[in-house]
Amino acid sequence: MSDSEYAIELRHISKHFGSVVANKDINLTLRKGEILALLGENGSGKTTLMNMLSGIYKPDAGSIYIDGEKTLISSPEDALKAGIGMVHQHFKLINVFSAADNILIGSSKGSETHALLRKSRYSQVNQIIHDFGFELDSRKIVANMSVSEKQTLEIVKVLYYGAKTIILDEPTAVLTVQETRKLFEVLKKMKEQGHSIIIITHKLNEVMEISDRVAILRKGQYITTVNTSETTEKELTELMMGRKVDLEIERPIVEKTAPVLEIRNLSVKSDEGNIALDDVSFYLRGGEILGVAGIAGSGQKELCEAMAGLRKIERGVVLHKGENIAGASPEEIIAKGVTMSFVPEDRLGMGLAPSLSIADNVILKKYKQSKGFLLDKKRGAREAQEIIDKLEIVAPSVETPVRKLSGGNVQKVLLGREIAIDPNVIVTAYPVRGLDINSSYAVYDILNQQKKTGVGILFVGEDLDVMLALCDKIMVLCHGKLMGVVHASKASKEEIGLMMTGALNTVHQKRGKTAGIAKDSAIVEDEIIYQEEEVNV
Amino acid sequence: MSQQEPLEVKGLRKQINRGKNSLAKQFHLVRKSRMKLWQNALYILIGVVVALAIGAAILTSLDISAIDYYSDMFTIGLVGNAYPERAIENFLVSYVPLLITSLALALSFKMRFWNIGGEGQFLIGALTSAVIAIKFPGLNPYLMLLLMSVVAMLCSGVTGLAIARLKTKYNTNETLATLMINYIALYVVTFFGETKADWNFFLRTDSERPKFTSFTKMPFVEIGDFHLQISVLVTLLIATGIWFYLRYTKQGYEISVIGDSRRTATYAGMNVKRITLRTMFTSAALIGLAGAFTASSSGCISTNITNNVGWTGIIVAWLSKLSIPGIVLSSFLITILQFGCRSASSLYPSIDSHFADLLQGLILFAVLAADFFANYKVVRIMSAGEKQEEQHEDKKEVES
Amino acid sequence: MRSILKKMLGVALAASLCLGAVACKKKDSKSDFKVGAIYINSQNDTSGYTYAHHKGITTAMEAAGLSVKDDLIIVDNVPEDDEAVRAAIDTLAGKGCKIIFGISFGYINAMDAAAKDYPDIIFSHGTGYLSNDTNFNNYFGRIYQARYLAGIAAGYKSLELGNNNIGYVSAYGTEYAETCSGINAFTLGCLSVNKDATVHVYELNTWGDIEKERQAAQILIDTYGCCVIAQHCDSAQPQLVAAEKGFFGCGYNSDMAVDAPSAHLTAPVWNWNVYYQLAIETARDDAKNFMSKVGNYYGGLKENFVDISPLTENVPAPAATAIATARELMVKGEWDVFSGVALSFDASGNMTKSDVALVTNDGTEIVAAGGASVEDGVITGSMNYFVAGVIQEQ
Repeated sequence: MSDSEYAIELRHISKHFGSVVANKDINLTLRKGEILALLGENGSGKTTLMNMLSGIYKPDAGSIYIDGEKTLISSPEDALKAGIGMVHQHFKLINVFSAADNILIGSSKGSETHALLRKSRYSQVNQIIHDFGFELDSRKIVANMSVSEKQTLEIVKVLYYGAKTIILDEPTAVLTVQETRKLFEVLKKMKEQGHSIIIITHKLNEVMEISDRVAILRKGQYITTVNTSETTEKELTELMMGRKVDLEIERPIVEKTAPVLEIRNLSVKSDEGNIALDDVSFYLRGGEILGVAGIAGSGQKELCEAMAGLRKIERGVVLHKGENIAGASPEEIIAKGVTMSFVPEDRLGMGLAPSLSIADNVILKKYKQSKGFLLDKKRGAREAQEIIDKLEIVAPSVETPVRKLSGGNVQKVLLGREIAIDPNVIVTAYPVRGLDINSSYAVYDILNQQKKTGVGILFVGEDLDVMLALCDKIMVLCHGKLMGVVHASKASKEEIGLMMTGALNTVHQKRGKTAGIAKDSAIVEDEIIYQEEEVNV
Repeated sequence: MSQQEPLEVKGLRKQINRGKNSLAKQFHLVRKSRMKLWQNALYILIGVVVALAIGAAILTSLDISAIDYYSDMFTIGLVGNAYPERAIENFLVSYVPLLITSLALALSFKMRFWNIGGEGQFLIGALTSAVIAIKFPGLNPYLMLLLMSVVAMLCSGVTGLAIARLKTKYNTNETLATLMINYIALYVVTFFGETKADWNFFLRTDSERPKFTSFTKMPFVEIGDFHLQISVLVTLLIATGIWFYLRYTKQGYEISVIGDSRRTATYAGMNVKRITLRTMFTSAALIGLAGAFTASSSGCISTNITNNVGWTGIIVAWLSKLSIPGIVLSSFLITILQFGCRSASSLYPSIDSHFADLLQGLILFAVLAADFFANYKVVRIMSAGEKQEEQHEDKKEVES
Repeated sequence: MRSILKKMLGVALAASLCLGAVACKKKDSKSDFKVGAIYINSQNDTSGYTYAHHKGITTAMEAAGLSVKDDLIIVDNVPEDDEAVRAAIDTLAGKGCKIIFGISFGYINAMDAAAKDYPDIIFSHGTGYLSNDTNFNNYFGRIYQARYLAGIAAGYKSLELGNNNIGYVSAYGTEYAETCSGINAFTLGCLSVNKDATVHVYELNTWGDIEKERQAAQILIDTYGCCVIAQHCDSAQPQLVAAEKGFFGCGYNSDMAVDAPSAHLTAPVWNWNVYYQLAIETARDDAKNFMSKVGNYYGGLKENFVDISPLTENVPAPAATAIATARELMVKGEWDVFSGVALSFDASGNMTKSDVALVTNDGTEIVAAGGASVEDGVITGSMNYFVAGVIQEQ
């Protein structure tokens, strides 16, 4: 072991993709045995930089020093040899293999070839798991693992190959609060054992909690590194944004109307035919934002699709202003004059036609309204221009294909279109995913504006801090079941986290009142019985 | 961001990077910033010139003047032709089916419905229209053409509809289904062409050997010596119509949205299944029409009647990136290439018509390559280590 | 969309550049008389049907004092599709051809129609049956006469080997009069020498499948014990198989002794140049009387239009005498194959003539004993039966 102070030192690293500068002259140091948070907005070059450390890209210029020695990393194997392991946002695991086999398959070289066949492989892997205090069964098949377990496996994998430096790319994005806490404990333990850790994240509270130092990137450039103990969230944000920002998310108080949307006993199947939503009931009033929280894949996607008429409803009632729209096709829902805007999870894949122009995308939901055989192109162009002006969308013209816009502008086009039809319900799924802070706040503003006009908003989110600040109420799903509906102003993150994992179920605990059923419900009890009977036949 | 991400030439890199200490040289394919139109055109031009130069080298090695050959080829043999009007007529007769078929294929491709059954749908159109022509020889030629067209479009369209229905109902693979129809149609035509029997009205009755019978050809407009077949005029109308349809109508809009994102279309309340059926019917019906036109313009059918337009049409549609004016132009140029090459080769006993295929392949390949290099460039990038090494050496020099 | 337009413009520009440079320069021709030909396969073939015709036309043109390089215009690989044939004819007409040969049967409709549209051009159609009075004829030959002679050679070989089984690989059987008459003539030739001979016919149902041709010969030898393999198909595979197995064979179209010297006896061959020279010279010198001078051409041994290749050493000696005798009868026009008179040859090649009815292999009488030869139209068109002695195996 060399006596260099730094585990990793990056000097003058630059990387270009065509004419785009991803990283420019970056100098960064990672001390031995520290946790360094790498902070930056989307597109600031964090992932690119780390990909160069892990051998996926190679820098155009500059050099990497590991343990004080200049090292050339030209492949992921090189990175591993140099003691660098990366845990990517998207796991690279084989679903049908056990944990141990997923780890050992990478070692099928030379004399190690038979490692995969030895029974001792399980105890071998278990040893590492115990050494670091992980909770994982080396015999468990990946397909049966939770997201958190998969992530643990990825970490064990890089440790198995002797990584001294571990890079984690947004590890908490997929975890619950409890799981995050557990991860942080493990990271601290690893740190104690002399490992150095780089954690990429944009959640400031986590940065403050776990890291020793914070390195900040902005627009591909290295800004500075600060000691976590000597900084504040506000300062970090300013460094990250390059200017002062107000981090407060507004929650205007609006007078609530009667429920605009009531969901009762909704059951829906997933693409694979499993039960995705199991007997879920809730309601949404005008002038409120109802958050939907849950671990990824708890039925959020299916819920949104069922409401938009895109997914078959197995059982239950979807009451929109007193009219049951369950079972109607999107065409019928639109034709009935039901204005329910749906901002889907996969914006380009579902809400928009990426190769078509902004104008053509704006007219998407009302192209049938004009009379005759021809498409009303003028209307599309006019409304697109209105949306561009109103939401300050950066686009060369209304004829620009949507796929050429940045993520924030794409989201604005989508929201703009949905708002333009004067909806009384907006359903949004992960509307700020992949957006930078500015764009995210613009989206929150737009939603709040709608809320003020009396629109009911269903907000499927992933960042609990944001949801607690923005939403009026939060309903929590776990494995397709409703765990309860809480008031955002009264709830704690811990409580919601417990509900997300299914450890806490508040649905039937409140005396005299079942969560998810409005006092002034428009649903007549007979109607529900009728629905159920129909299903039973 | 993802747009600019480079395609790493992994194989190349692996080869070059063998051994840990080798000073690696890297080659990347990097997407260029958007080119101006004339720059793009220049690339294509260079590609074509390179292809023609290779062709010229082959011609010269066969002791043939490339200049003579190319001049005859690009004028489709019009210069010094005793009957130039016939050459233009024949050119149009090959152009019409290719154009209609390419347009029709583009229609389904635009919706990401992979109709590769152009050959089969063409044959179905030709065969069924021939039934009308043979069975009702006394009809007014215009009425006959109309009737042939309608029958061919219906029969071929229904075939397309059936395949689309299989797709929407059972999610069968339309590529396989359309491909298989090609062979079924071909063997049906072969069966009628080779089976001598009293019921087989497709065959000449005076011939001992089986031979398809002839029927009345389509009417034409006489312009001096030049005979302009009605199908040419109809085809130009169809091309304009499809352009208008895709660009300005709701149905065309629906096709674009479905092609871009099926789920978006569903979400927008489009009946994707119905639109798929409708579009595939139109596509197949148009190809059937091309078959009827060809049968009517030659006054006979044969197993070779398609002249491979079902396949060539796919190339045309892709080469034009599904743009309608692009298809009109590129099918025109491909016909010039095919027709001109054949005309030019006839003059030289040492060159057979396979040279036309060779040259056509060279040019298409060159155009595609040019298109690629217009959008990407190969750059060699010095690795970090290499740069370091160089700097190190520099230092040494300074020190000494 | 517009970028595509530009690209296409680029291609057009390239085209016009090449054009502009050379538009005025054209090939000089030495003679105004140009010969046009439409081939079913490639003019650069080195064997097969198209090759035989191409060789015939070039030989004839040289003999007629024309330049193949400058005066022969060919459109090749033309499928039997009226549209394609018409385009080829228009191309040839446009280049100034005065006579156009079409070698494949399927060209018939298009040539018939074109003859009306181009009255100044002579259309000559190989293997066809249509014609007119002024500028459209057809041509074919009495290849059956040559096949009869080849049958004599095969008959002597079977006597020598003491094996009466003779094989015949044929593209088609009774569907085509051309193949049917060939099989019959060959069989009658065999029977004239060996009364007990049986010709086993194996039909391929295709004109060009080398692998099938090879397999057919193997089956005929292995399954039916054939000692001589005759053929009506393009490739030399049946002869090669016979050579490999130590047996013998009669080729077709060219002297296949080149391919299988140890097996080959003789092969019926075409001298297409005989007709082509006659047609080209007449068209050049006296086009107006083409139909009266050439007309529908059906040449045989007499015109030297068909023949057999030189007998190899594999042929038993008396065959030469017998073949010479039969040939003389046919050249003089005293006797023909499909008639009520049968020839028979003894072991030393001496001939006896006798009146025997021509009977099919299912016993139907076609020509009564002593009757005259069947009409040419039957031989070229409607013959659809096998004579006694033929067994259709496949």
